[in-house]
Amino acid sequence: MGVGMKVLRAIFLILLGLYFFVPLLAMARFAFQSVPVVLLTPEKLLEGWSISGLLEVFGNPEFQRATLISLQLMVLAIVLTLVLLLPLAALVEIRAPQLRTLMTAITLLPWVVPPVALVVGVAATFRNTVPWFLASPYSLVPFYVLWALPFSYRALDAGLRSIGARTLYEAARVMGASTFTIIVRVIIPNMIGAIIAASVLTAALVLGEFAFAALLLKETLPTFMAEFQRSEPRAGMALALAVMLLTALIIWIGVRALRKRGMDLQAAGV
Amino acid sequence: MRRRFDTATVIVAVPFLAFVGLFLFVPTIGLAIKAFTPGGSFGFSAMQRALEGTYRTAFINSLALAATSAILGGVIGLLLALSLRSLRRPKWLRSTTDSWSAVAAQLGGIPLAFAFIAAIGTQGIITKLLNQIGFDITDSGFSLSEFWGLVVVYLYFQIPLMFLVMMPAVGGLKNTWSEAASIMGASSGRYWRSVALPLLVPSFLGGLLLLFVNSFAAYATAYVLNPGAQLVPLQIRFLLQGNVITGEQDLAYAIVLWTISLLLASLLLIAILQRRTAKWASA
Repeated sequence: MGVGMKVLRAIFLILLGLYFFVPLLAMARFAFQSVPVVLLTPEKLLEGWSISGLLEVFGNPEFQRATLISLQLMVLAIVLTLVLLLPLAALVEIRAPQLRTLMTAITLLPWVVPPVALVVGVAATFRNTVPWFLASPYSLVPFYVLWALPFSYRALDAGLRSIGARTLYEAARVMGASTFTIIVRVIIPNMIGAIIAASVLTAALVLGEFAFAALLLKETLPTFMAEFQRSEPRAGMALALAVMLLTALIIWIGVRALRKRGMDLQAAGV
Repeated sequence: MRRRFDTATVIVAVPFLAFVGLFLFVPTIGLAIKAFTPGGSFGFSAMQRALEGTYRTAFINSLALAATSAILGGVIGLLLALSLRSLRRPKWLRSTTDSWSAVAAQLGGIPLAFAFIAAIGTQGIITKLLNQIGFDITDSGFSLSEFWGLVVVYLYFQIPLMFLVMMPAVGGLKNTWSEAASIMGASSGRYWRSVALPLLVPSFLGGLLLLFVNSFAAYATAYVLNPGAQLVPLQIRFLLQGNVITGEQDLAYAIVLWTISLLLASLLLIAILQRRTAKWASA
């Protein structure tokens, strides 16, 4: 690679770095410095910093309610994802590999029906037939599981292949273990990395999803955030930054867990 | 003799299929039926109206936004993966970019829109900084609520997403291949044209689709930056939340059915292209 190319590459990487970093910095300044941009001069750069806005949000009962709901939705969505998918993905891999293509296709479908589209279908069907179902915020759980499918299924599937699940199964089988024992005592303990990856991707989706919750008039953390920022721009910005950092932290934990096992957190297997 | 279906697999597959059927197929089929029965009787009027006037504009805008942000994000994400591949130092850069991409690819939505408002909105700090060195963003016609503004914001999750998709493929290019090509007298340009790029094309196409769907369906970011934008997701919101004028609901069903058909068609198109290029690369 020539010197010219190297310089170009360095410029490219620096520009990208700025593009990704500067908005976060601007966000932090807006959130924690009480000097409006118009009045900001180099001398005032260190004035008026405080995190009181954020602390106030934490005390807001509406915020607490929305956060509690979002955290509950997150846990429920992760549990439902694992209950539905983990045994199925394992059995498809070890006993019915002919179903793999079908599973790949089915788990890709939620892509084609994004939240803002499915909400219309839900309104068209469930609202008339089972209105009580949509009354509870927990009705969001199955839909969140659904949209996480392309990512969660692929994470589990990649995990199964990377541990050589079929070989493990055959070895345990020869030694006389039942399929149930093999899945519970051999496959799942070896898949902690993939389970964490699937959970982390589901969690990130739940913490960020706005369209479906907003259009069904459910108060979750993202819908609260959008509403709150209108009345309290500064504190709202601080909250958004905090949620961003929380999401980043959750995903980073997942990346760490995977890396320890020599894997990468990848986008849906495209 | 092996049975066609394994009992244990069937037992765990049934709840999963019931789940997908109930929460994905039932609502989708339900809305498809309603889209074709405007006002209660069979007809194409809703489907037709969904592609007229403002709704046509919304589809064109959404398509343009999705395509532009997918192609730009795709190319930049690929370039990022390629430039990190050949980069040895600093060592931390590679692993930081990996982790950061995994994070940023998920950072769409409300907070992201806020971040850009704080940076390059009308009251943004970068807007002010540029203003002081004599460049007025607003005068230049740039606005976060317009087309290019949305593109700039969407790239924030599109570039890392493409990077994640391309990294395994780019990492799979072996140095011995370029050496072999140069021993056989191929120029570096020839190596890229005949060896490297064909190998990257299937992943790149898959990535493009992911990015396209991702931005076509993006709702929260656009909602914050410009709730009145002529984009399909925001039009759906209007129809869904607006007062229940007779026929307006049918229009929402029809717009959504077109959207789903469009996304499904692009999924199939990419699958076909991928299969072809995969064959070509292995030939």
